[in-house]
Amino acid sequence: MTADADPGGLRRAWGWHAHLRDGGATPWRVWEGAGEPGGRYLPGAQQLELLRRLNAAGDVPADLAARVLEASAPGRGRPDLELSGAVEPRAFGPAPIDPADLPDEELLRVLAGLLAEDVLAAGLPESPRPRAIRPWRQRYRMVGDPVLADPRREDLTARGRPPGGRGSVVLVLGSDLGEMLVHEWTARSLGYGAPPFREWVGRAVRDTVPQRVDLARTAAVWRERVGAPRVRIVLDLGAVPRLVRVRRAPAAALPLTADAIELARRVGQVLGLLVAPPVRRDLLRRTLVPRLATSPGPALVLPARHVERAHGQATRMRDALLRAGYAVHGDPDGLLPTERPGVPEPSDAGALALGMRLLLEQPEKRGTA
Amino acid sequence: MSTRVLLHVGTPKTGTSYLQDVLFRNRRRLARSGILYPADRFDAHFLAALDLMRMPWGGLEAEAVGAWDRLAGQVRRHRGTAIISHEILATASRSQAGRALTSLGHGDGSEVHLVISARDLVRQIPAEWQENVKHRAALPYRAFLEQVTDPARDTRISSWFWGVQELPDILDRWGHDLPPERIHVVTVPPAGGPQQLLWKRFSVVLGLDGLDLDLEAERANPSLGVPETTLVRRINRAANQELDPADYRPLVRELLAHHTLSQRTSSPRLALPPDLHPWVGEVTASWIAEIEKRGYDVVGDLHDLVGAPPTTDYVSPDQPDEAQVAEAAVDAIKAVLLETARLRHVEAGLRAELLDTQRALERSYLRPTYRWRERSVRRLQEGRLGRGLLKAYRRARGRSSEPA
Repeated sequence: MTADADPGGLRRAWGWHAHLRDGGATPWRVWEGAGEPGGRYLPGAQQLELLRRLNAAGDVPADLAARVLEASAPGRGRPDLELSGAVEPRAFGPAPIDPADLPDEELLRVLAGLLAEDVLAAGLPESPRPRAIRPWRQRYRMVGDPVLADPRREDLTARGRPPGGRGSVVLVLGSDLGEMLVHEWTARSLGYGAPPFREWVGRAVRDTVPQRVDLARTAAVWRERVGAPRVRIVLDLGAVPRLVRVRRAPAAALPLTADAIELARRVGQVLGLLVAPPVRRDLLRRTLVPRLATSPGPALVLPARHVERAHGQATRMRDALLRAGYAVHGDPDGLLPTERPGVPEPSDAGALALGMRLLLEQPEKRGTA
Repeated sequence: MSTRVLLHVGTPKTGTSYLQDVLFRNRRRLARSGILYPADRFDAHFLAALDLMRMPWGGLEAEAVGAWDRLAGQVRRHRGTAIISHEILATASRSQAGRALTSLGHGDGSEVHLVISARDLVRQIPAEWQENVKHRAALPYRAFLEQVTDPARDTRISSWFWGVQELPDILDRWGHDLPPERIHVVTVPPAGGPQQLLWKRFSVVLGLDGLDLDLEAERANPSLGVPETTLVRRINRAANQELDPADYRPLVRELLAHHTLSQRTSSPRLALPPDLHPWVGEVTASWIAEIEKRGYDVVGDLHDLVGAPPTTDYVSPDQPDEAQVAEAAVDAIKAVLLETARLRHVEAGLRAELLDTQRALERSYLRPTYRWRERSVRRLQEGRLGRGLLKAYRRARGRSSEPA
């Protein structure tokens, strides 16, 4: 903000900047004070409005306020915008804006960058020492729906029962296809990245079902390797302890709301620019997810407009599994999409509110990533 | 600490690929003259820019982690002149620009100069659409123009376009903290001018005049004509969902667009629709007035930015001559066939190598004792008793050879 600054408007803007830095939450529209420049440049409307909302939500430490004001929204999108009324109308540059009119999406971009920095600074929690390997363990493989299989496999490994070994039975874990599609998107969002749910799920039901949650394809791959008698389709998760011969059921994934997954997806996009892909995945799953898991809110479900098509895919999957003659634990019709309580897509407003809460929590720094 | 840093931040489609190619290939010769072009790969500054701006780019960003700080560290350690150049830096925000300048030593002893190369919007607008198409976009030219001319600028396309093209705004973001004499605006001469004039302007501002450099370009970003761009757009529409970014770049952007379709130079060229010329004229006039007012160092002539008048034979890429598109498609198919044939030969060579390796491995297994042991193990695995004996043997031997 240099060339066409309106001195009166600019003084008002710097006054608002100082007010926000001091913890104020007055909207720009009604702000009437004035002040002197408090930095090399006036931050954009996105940064100022995010700080205002954080101030309204809780106590913002001075260092966090400074970080918000210096932050840039990562990735492509609208540039930092001028405050309407702070500059003279210009023939160039994006139009100034009243920050109250900014869509949540714009604030979420800035916030995701800050949260990614926090997650990186927090580092990875220390892993508990895995127990000694039990020589008499049931040899198994656990594949299929990643949200069902991955945490159970990791828990069993930590308990001295890693997968693999001669004569392993292959447990292909799954549930209804609607839930499995949500799980697949969740796993991608917490892994190497995914597009927005609306875009991704539309493609997934229109084209082929993703490999991991296409239980028929997954089972066929393992049948080729170990033969059909050693492949088990597990739709009743209560059967897992018996199949892997443990008394205590292996741990399941922490439940995440629709907005929590969306927030993790956006933080992951920025983390992908800060660390190598495997570290990104570990930071998301081990550092961010435990903080997100306590947040209340509705779960993500398959949108109603896709249920019919998913039903057709699930029917074909069920028929293929039965034709191949695998042992099925649970009801094969359990693959068909079923109505569940939840929302058909995450909301920017919800993800923003959750992200602000996490920013204000300021976790302890560990720095081991 | 570098005494002088020349930071070239854009704009795209102003001969930047050629400039960066010359600088990269001549970096040792430049070093002998005390000029640092810090790059261990030709796209090093692109990766640094992605890192600085935290910008995803089809998976490439994973290679960019920490790249800006490494680049800035090299610049700070160098004593002499350092050059940094990448056109996507044009879209940096004020805080990113501030961070970049500080990391290069601005305010801490280095003399940072900002260089921006600029070309008229009459050529830049169609060129940006074409660049979008070469990056998987499937939107028609008219839709692109509607987004670019919409004052709201609230789409990805329009915010990117103005972010990298709007000269006064880019100069505000990057240069608000620099004295005007350290800001150099290099204008791209009108089409049809002397071949080396743009290079001459770059070499003056970057202090390369008089150095013996190899100016033969190996990398460039060649343009496509109307039917060729239309063809790539249609390919995007058909293949985008199935072709991964990692495959798109070598197959569509490089093989088809750059190496094949850009060779077709007799087809109609992309141009700005005549009805947009008055609007472009107004925008350009306001930019020229603003730049003149600010007193920057202009290398070339600001009136180069006015651009050529409307063409009388304008061809819309949304209503192309289908026969020309079909001709371009035949060339594209031929290129894909030749590339497939080449890859088949490579595959056959690799198969032969693999076969040789397998045979060598088998020969090493042909010792009679190995064959006897192998037969025994196979027999033992067929029965429960045999499997038990094998298990006991393996345990006694002290290491597990259990397969996964």
